[in-house]
Amino acid sequence: MKAFTYQRAGSAEDAARLAAHPGAMLLAGGTTLLDLAKCGVAEPDMLVDIGHISGLDAIAVDAGGATIGALAKMSAVADHAGMRAAFPAVAESLSQAASAQLRNMATIGGNLLQRTRCPYFRDPAAFPACNKRDPGSGCAAIGGVTRNHAVLGTSEACIATYPGDLAVALVAFDAAVRLGGRTIAVEEFFLVPGDTPAREHAIGPGEMITAVAIPASPAARRSTFLKVRDRQSYEFAAASAAVGLELGPDGRTIRDLRVALGGVATVPWRCRAVEDALKGTLLEPESVRAASRLAVEGAVAQADNAHKIDLAPRLVARAILSLGGLA
Amino acid sequence: MTLLDTPRKHGDASDGGAIGARLSRLDGKLKITGAATYALEQPVDGLAYAVLVPATIGAGRVARIDVAAAKAAPGVRLILTPDDDLGLQPATDWNNVRASDGPYVPLPRDIAYNGQPVALVVADSLEQATEAARRLAIAYEEGPVTPGLDSPNAGEGSPLDQLSVAWGDAEAALAAAPVRVEAEYHTPREYHAAMEPHGLIARWEGDRLTVWEPSQWTHSMARSYAEWFGLPPENVRLVSPFVGGGFGSKGFSYGFGAIAAAAARRLGRPVKLAVTRPQNFAAYGGRAATRQSLALGATEDGVLQAIVLRGASETSTVGTWVEQVGAATPLMYAVPNFSARQRLVAVNTVTPGALRAPGKTPSAFAIESAIDELACAVGADPLEIRLRNYAEEDPQARKPWSTRRMREALAEGAEAFGWARRSREPRSMRDGHQLIGWGLATGTFPVIRNYGEALVRILADGSAEVVTGATDIGQGTYTILAQTAAEALGIPFERIDVRLGDSALPGAPVAGGSKLAGVMTGAVQKAAIAARDELIALALNDPNSPFRDTGANTLILADGRISAPRGDGPVVSVGELLGRIGRERIEVRRDTLPDHLQTPEGRFRAWTTMTTVQGPTAGDYSMHSWCAHFVEVRVDEDFGTIRVARMVSAFDCGRLYNPKLAESQWKGGIIMGIGMALLEEGLVDSRNGRVINNNLGDYLLPTNADVPDIRVIDVGIPDPHASALGGKGVGEVGIVGVAPAIANAVFHATGRRVRRLPITLDALV
Amino acid sequence: MSSPRTIRFTLNGEPVSATIMPHETLVDVLQHRFDLRGARESCGQGLCGCCTVHVDGKPVSGCLFLAVFADGARVDTVEGLARGDALDPVQEAFIEAGAFQCGFCTPGFVMMVKQLLKEHPEPTDEEVRHYLTGNLCRCSAYPEILDAVKLASARQAEAARRA
Repeated sequence: MKAFTYQRAGSAEDAARLAAHPGAMLLAGGTTLLDLAKCGVAEPDMLVDIGHISGLDAIAVDAGGATIGALAKMSAVADHAGMRAAFPAVAESLSQAASAQLRNMATIGGNLLQRTRCPYFRDPAAFPACNKRDPGSGCAAIGGVTRNHAVLGTSEACIATYPGDLAVALVAFDAAVRLGGRTIAVEEFFLVPGDTPAREHAIGPGEMITAVAIPASPAARRSTFLKVRDRQSYEFAAASAAVGLELGPDGRTIRDLRVALGGVATVPWRCRAVEDALKGTLLEPESVRAASRLAVEGAVAQADNAHKIDLAPRLVARAILSLGGLA
Repeated sequence: MTLLDTPRKHGDASDGGAIGARLSRLDGKLKITGAATYALEQPVDGLAYAVLVPATIGAGRVARIDVAAAKAAPGVRLILTPDDDLGLQPATDWNNVRASDGPYVPLPRDIAYNGQPVALVVADSLEQATEAARRLAIAYEEGPVTPGLDSPNAGEGSPLDQLSVAWGDAEAALAAAPVRVEAEYHTPREYHAAMEPHGLIARWEGDRLTVWEPSQWTHSMARSYAEWFGLPPENVRLVSPFVGGGFGSKGFSYGFGAIAAAAARRLGRPVKLAVTRPQNFAAYGGRAATRQSLALGATEDGVLQAIVLRGASETSTVGTWVEQVGAATPLMYAVPNFSARQRLVAVNTVTPGALRAPGKTPSAFAIESAIDELACAVGADPLEIRLRNYAEEDPQARKPWSTRRMREALAEGAEAFGWARRSREPRSMRDGHQLIGWGLATGTFPVIRNYGEALVRILADGSAEVVTGATDIGQGTYTILAQTAAEALGIPFERIDVRLGDSALPGAPVAGGSKLAGVMTGAVQKAAIAARDELIALALNDPNSPFRDTGANTLILADGRISAPRGDGPVVSVGELLGRIGRERIEVRRDTLPDHLQTPEGRFRAWTTMTTVQGPTAGDYSMHSWCAHFVEVRVDEDFGTIRVARMVSAFDCGRLYNPKLAESQWKGGIIMGIGMALLEEGLVDSRNGRVINNNLGDYLLPTNADVPDIRVIDVGIPDPHASALGGKGVGEVGIVGVAPAIANAVFHATGRRVRRLPITLDALV
Repeated sequence: MSSPRTIRFTLNGEPVSATIMPHETLVDVLQHRFDLRGARESCGQGLCGCCTVHVDGKPVSGCLFLAVFADGARVDTVEGLARGDALDPVQEAFIEAGAFQCGFCTPGFVMMVKQLLKEHPEPTDEEVRHYLTGNLCRCSAYPEILDAVKLASARQAEAARRA
C-alpha cells in the first residue's frame, strides 16, 4: 500500500471541500478502499475520513419506511429489529454478506459503493486493459476466465458483476439514495457500463451519500433474500435474489411482487418483467416458474458463465414460491 | 465370533502408558495467548524491508528494467534485477544431486511463468519498497504461452518410463472383459494456502547467516542457503520454532529466499521479505493438474480382470515435479492384469510441488470413482464390490501387508454411518428440494521410514528436555516427543520441555511424507532410554547414591521418582538423586542411523536429503495406512449447490501416539479433501498464464460453515514393522479418497457423474 | 507528503499512545509498536480473521482497520485475555478441545468466540458455524473449534448458575 495523507472531515461540507483536492478519496469504514489500495487499484494521495461526521449513522424505521444513515454499520442494520420486521430481505442481504468482522466495520454508504470483484479489474499489474480503471484501455475479462462475470447489463466495454447484496434488496423495494440535498432512486443511482464503465454511479462532484430511504410496503414486509454460492458462506454470490410478495385477501392472488437479482448483472437488476407477468395472477408453481424465466431476458453469456442464466430464474421462482408457502 | 468382536490392542493409553494418551498440546498455551513467535514476527534490529516483483507475462524474457525512478524513491536501499550477478552456486536437491552447470540464478532474464520474480526492491520501510517497486519500468519480450495441461498447445508431453507399472496382459484382458468402464478424470491445480504466508528474515554476521523462515525441514533448507553462498554448512542457521501450516510447501528453500539473503549480504543489513498473499500462488508450486484415462475390465459380478491407466500431469518448463497419478491405483484392489503409464507435460507454471498426499490424492480420485462406476455397471453395492476385489497382499510388490485393516475400516465405517440403509438407485433419496446421496471411497498412504537424532537432558530440578531440529507444523511434534520421553524416562509429561525447529539442533528428516512422528519418537525413545540407563547406573554405583548399598541390580523410574524394584528401599526424586551425586544434568544424544551412515557424510546426507528414505516395500512387507470415507451430500435440485451433510471415516494408521492429535490430523485432511472436492481450483488465464484467483477471497478454502459433523474411527493396531513404536502415518491419509467419496455421493444424489474437480454448481445446474 | 500523527487509545486496559503514519493499519501498529503478535495478517483482505481484534467491544479485521481509527478507542487483543497465569475460559476450552494445530489463526478465532459467546451465550452448532465464517483455518480444526465453543459455553453457563 502506498503512503497517503489523512484528513478528518467534521461535516459533509467539510468533506466535499477536502474531497476536491486532487487524489483525495472519501473514507468511511475503509474496508473497500484499503482492500483496493493493497491490490494497487486505488492510489489515493489523501484520504478524507467522513466517519466522524455526526448524525449520519442513525437508523429510523416507522410506518412510512426506513431511513438509514450512510455511516450506519452493516451489522447495526442487519441486527435492527425494526428493519428485520419491516424489511427482512434488506436485513438478510446484509447478514449474509462479508464476515461478522467486516460487518462491524463497513458502512451502508460504503457497501453500496463497493467495487466489482472482477479479477481483471483487481490486478492492474498483470492486466492493464480495464475500461473501468482506465477508460479506453479495453476489457481483459472478455476472453478470459468469466465464471463470475455478468450476463445482464453488459457491454462490449465491460462485463464486471456488481458484487453487492444490499443494493439488490434496495432496488427491489424502490429505495432511494440521498446525496446531501438531492435524492435519487437506487435503480437510477447505479449505471450500466455502456461505453463508460468507469462511471458507476450517478454521483456528482462534491456529493456523497448521506442516507438511504426505503418506503414501507407489504411486499417489503414479506420478503426474502436468497443467495447461491459455491461456498456456504463468505463468498460473493453466483446469483442472488431479493423478492417481496403481497398476496390479496384470498391468500392466492399476487397483489404486489418485487424481484431483483444480484451476482448476475453489472448493476443491481430489477426484474419488472417477472413482476408484471405475475401481478394479478394466482400464485401457482407452474406460472411462477414460467414467469421467472423473464428475469434473464436479454442475457448474454460469456465462455464460462452460461449457468447463471439457468440459475437466476430458479432462484427467483424458489424465492417467490417460498414466500407464498409453496416451496 | 465376528471380526468386530476380535479383542483389539491399539497400543494407546487404554492399554496403559503415557504414549497414546489424549493429552493437550504442549505448545497450546503459547499459541492460544499470542506468545508463539512465527518466523516473520522475530524481533530483529535494523531490518530493511524487501518487496518481490513478479513477472506479469507467462513466457518470454525481460528485455530491460529501468530502475532509475525506483532508485530515486525515498528510503530505497537496493534493487536487484536480472542485470545483477548474485554470485550464487547451485544447491543440492533432495536426491543429493548438485547441478554442475554454472551458477544458480534465481532472478533469470528468461521468464518461464507468470509470477516469476524479476526484481527485488529493498527499502527502509515496506511502504517505501512497495512504492519504489511500482516505479520499476519493466519491458518484456513476450513469448508463446502454454497455460495448462489441457491447453491445445500443451501436447502429449514426455513419457515417464520409470513410473510404468505392468503385470499380466492388461490390454488383452480389458478387451476380453465382459464389463468395461472407461473414463477420463481431471484434477486442477491446487494450492497449500497455509494461513502463514511464506517469507524470511535473513541476517548476516560476517560469513555467518541466520535465516528465520517457516520450515518443515530446517537442516535441508539451511544446507541450500549454505551451498548457494558457498559457505560451510555450520555457518548457516535456519530457525523455525513455530510454523503456521505447511502442507508440503515449507520443506524447501525457494528462489525468493536466495534473493532476499543475497540482498541482506550486499546491504550488510538484515532483510525481511514477506511474500504477499497473491505472490504465494506463484513463489512456489502447489499440486500439479492431472488427467487420467482409466479403464477397468471386470466379470459380470464385478470381479476385476484388468486395470489400464494412462495418466498425465503438468510440470514447469524449468523444473521437474511428478504428481504420480498411479500412486494408489495398483494398491487398492486385487487384479490379475495391470498397466499404468504416465506422461509429464511442461507448461508455463511455477514448478509444482508436494501438497498433502501428493500423487495418492489425484490417483485415488480416479480409481475410487471408477470402482464406483463399476459397481453401478454390475449392479453391486459400492462396499460389496470393494470386498469382492479385496487385495489380500500388495498386488504390485507381491508382499504381504504389514497390517491392512481395510475390512475393519469398511465394516465399522459402514456400521457407524448406517450404510446398510442406503437405497441403490441414484436420485432415490430426497428431503424437500434436497437430493440426498451417500458415497463411499477408500484411501491409502505409504509408510515411509527414515532416521532421526535427538538429545535428551535430565536436569537438576528433576525435569527433562528433548532437543531436536525437527519441526512442528501443527501436527503435534512437541507433544508426542514429550510423551515419548515421559514414558521412557518415568518423568511426568508436565515436566518435559521440548525444543524444536532449528538447524543447529540434532538431525531430523522433513516433516513430510507422514513419517516424522514414527521416525522421531523412535529417536527420542532411544535417547531417553539411554539417559534413563545412565541415571540408573549412576544411582547404583555412585558413592553418594542412596541406592548404592541396596543390592539392587536395577532401579525403577516412575512419576519422577527412583526406587528399587522390590519397593522396600529408598524412594527419591530424580532431582534429589542428581543433587546427592553432584550431577548438574545427564545428557545423551542418540540417533537411529544404521552403521553404514555413521560417517559425517552419511549423517549429513540423512538429515538433508531423501536418499536415506526407505519406501513401503523396502523390507519383507508392504506397509501403508488405510482409510474408508462414508459421505452424505445434499444437492439442491434447482441450484446444484452441494453440501456435505455428514461424514464417517475409519482409519488404520497403526498405533496412535496421541489420539486427540491424530484425530485432528485426520479431520483436517478430510476437510482439505472437502475443499478439493467442491471448492479449490487455480484458475489460469489462457492468454498469459496468470493464476487469476490468487487470493483467499477467490481461491476458496472451506470455512466453518462448509464443514459437517465428521466422525472418525480408529481401527488400527500397532504395526511393529512400520516404526519403532508401532505407528503408521496419520497426517496425509485423511485427504486421500475424500474427493471420490463426495463425487460418488453426488452421483448417488443426482445421477450425474462428475469426473472433473472441483464439483461446482455449474456442473449440476 | 504524509506526516506522522499521534494517537491515544486504551490497549488491553492500559492507556497508550503511538506515533503512526496514516497508512498504517491497526495490526501493523500492534505488531511493531507494542510487540503484540497474536493478531497477524494473512489474507490481507479482511476475510481470514487472523487479524481479529476488538475495538470498542466489537471484533474487527485489524488488517483493514487504519490505526488512526483507533484514536480514542478501546482496543482489546488476545494478549489481554489471560489474567496472569490464569487463561480465559475460551482459551482453556480451545486447548482442551484441541481446537488448533499450527496456531497461526488461533488468536483471531479466540477473539471471535469471545464475542460470539457474549451475543449468543448458548449458541447452536449452526450459529457457531455461521458466526465464525470470517475466520479461516487451513489446518481445518473446525470440528474441534465447534467443540471448544460448546465447552466454553457450557462452562460459562455453569459459572453463571453458581454465581
